[in-house]
Amino acid sequence: MAKLVVKDAEKWFRRENGEPLKVIDRLSFEAREGAVTVLIGPSGCGKSTLLNSVVGLEKLDRGDLLFLDDGKNRERPLIGYVFQSPRLLPWKTVAENIGLALQGAGIPRSERAARVERYLKLVNLEEYTHQFPLYLSGGQRQRVGLARALAVESDIVLMDEPFASVDELTARRLRQTTRRLCEQLRRTVLFVTHNLAEAAYMSDFVVTLTGRPARLDTYVVNPLSSPRQWGADVYNFAAELETKVSLKEDEAL
Amino acid sequence: MLLMGFDRNNPAAVASRNAPVAGAETLPPFGASTARDLSARFLPPLLAVTSVIGIWWALYLIYPRLLPSPLSTVAEAIRLVTDGTFFFHMYQSLRRVFVGALAAMFFSVGVGIYMGTVMMGERFFQPLVVLGLTIPGLMWALIAVMLFGINEFSPYFAVTVTIFPMLVINIWAGVKSLDKELIDMSHVFHFTKRMKITQVILPQLVPNIFAATRYGLGLAWKVVVVVEMFGTSNGVGYQVMKSYQVFNMEGVIAWTLTFVVAMIVIEYGIINFAERRLTAWRPKIDVWRR
Repeated sequence: MAKLVVKDAEKWFRRENGEPLKVIDRLSFEAREGAVTVLIGPSGCGKSTLLNSVVGLEKLDRGDLLFLDDGKNRERPLIGYVFQSPRLLPWKTVAENIGLALQGAGIPRSERAARVERYLKLVNLEEYTHQFPLYLSGGQRQRVGLARALAVESDIVLMDEPFASVDELTARRLRQTTRRLCEQLRRTVLFVTHNLAEAAYMSDFVVTLTGRPARLDTYVVNPLSSPRQWGADVYNFAAELETKVSLKEDEAL
Repeated sequence: MLLMGFDRNNPAAVASRNAPVAGAETLPPFGASTARDLSARFLPPLLAVTSVIGIWWALYLIYPRLLPSPLSTVAEAIRLVTDGTFFFHMYQSLRRVFVGALAAMFFSVGVGIYMGTVMMGERFFQPLVVLGLTIPGLMWALIAVMLFGINEFSPYFAVTVTIFPMLVINIWAGVKSLDKELIDMSHVFHFTKRMKITQVILPQLVPNIFAATRYGLGLAWKVVVVVEMFGTSNGVGYQVMKSYQVFNMEGVIAWTLTFVVAMIVIEYGIINFAERRLTAWRPKIDVWRR
């Protein structure tokens, strides 16, 4: 089991007029083993940039990203990623999309089919194995994306506002499925959102960030027990989170 | 197969299929819809072909010395096909077109992807491609025969270099509009370089490759015919030239006609079929639906 440690991370972008713009400022926190750490902060505060740096799509200007496995750091480990849009290859069937991720992860061909089947069952999509993604609904596609991220069986899984583009009722069902799988599979999950109720429901720990540049604001331990239901407890904790986030709102604007 | 899966697995799709079309009950009762569909599909092209033959016939009646009669030309075409001459020469021309086009396709996919993904590649090849586009196919045909003489390499070379820049432009444009999100996804899930090219990049280029193939084949035919006129001793171009030298207008038109029919068979039979197969994942889009 591995944990992700972000240490003194700094990231700059260059504006169109050439001036530097700091998006992440000396940010340090960790995503603990086997738990869901939710990162919340205002839109555009650099949350996605941080996730992109974790998977190597971008590079931090300063600081370290450590993937600690029994205290030892691993270089560019495989990381499951659920994107904001499903990012499935439309010319490949559901099974082939997951199969390709497994091939990339170095899973032998003989094991792939069984694993694809197992994870599609976990997200209740086993009937759609040989369907092309464009014939599925938005929520179903997102579940395929979730199955793909979990099927590679990496220690660390990132989720970047995965339910932001589906309607609220679908999102609620997807959250329940995802939370159930997180509890069952015990992966280290870093989950980004700007939806406070979602943060309250999904998290074991919550890291709140300030507006641009993103700095660590508060670190909160979720008091809700697991397994949990979507209900008043969730909204109460969301309201508590709101008081912590909104205090810094001016800075974001 | 795809549509069957769609119906069976997607209850929403089944429901929407069985539901009456909005406003259908107010539509006036037309005749049998299949007959209407067939006539709508085949009448316009039939009318187009008939009008061309009609004009030709009228011109033949006015200037009988200038133009051969459509009937005797068709008879000549039938003779060419039945005695096997057509198949031998058409095979020669087809082989030259396909070998040249395949070589051009092979190089252009590589160069197009390189130009679209590496800045240095774009800077290096762009002026060469623009230069290549401005050189007419006829020039390449002449240069090829002068350089390599009367042999099979000349038409291959002429076809390859003539259509190469045009194919590259298409594929380069396709690469520039690749979906960055899918490429990022392939990076995150540790796809190998080979997987990125075959599973992520090439499938996105399929529409560009088909557009390039259609245009490229049309251009390749023209170049091959020219090379054959003065650089080979068989092929459709050579036969057209032979008919021309004895002022056999029937022969010239009959060869052209058979050649056009072969082109249509390739376009509708092979390319359309391959395109439908390769884009089966895309639901049918009806832009003008009311």
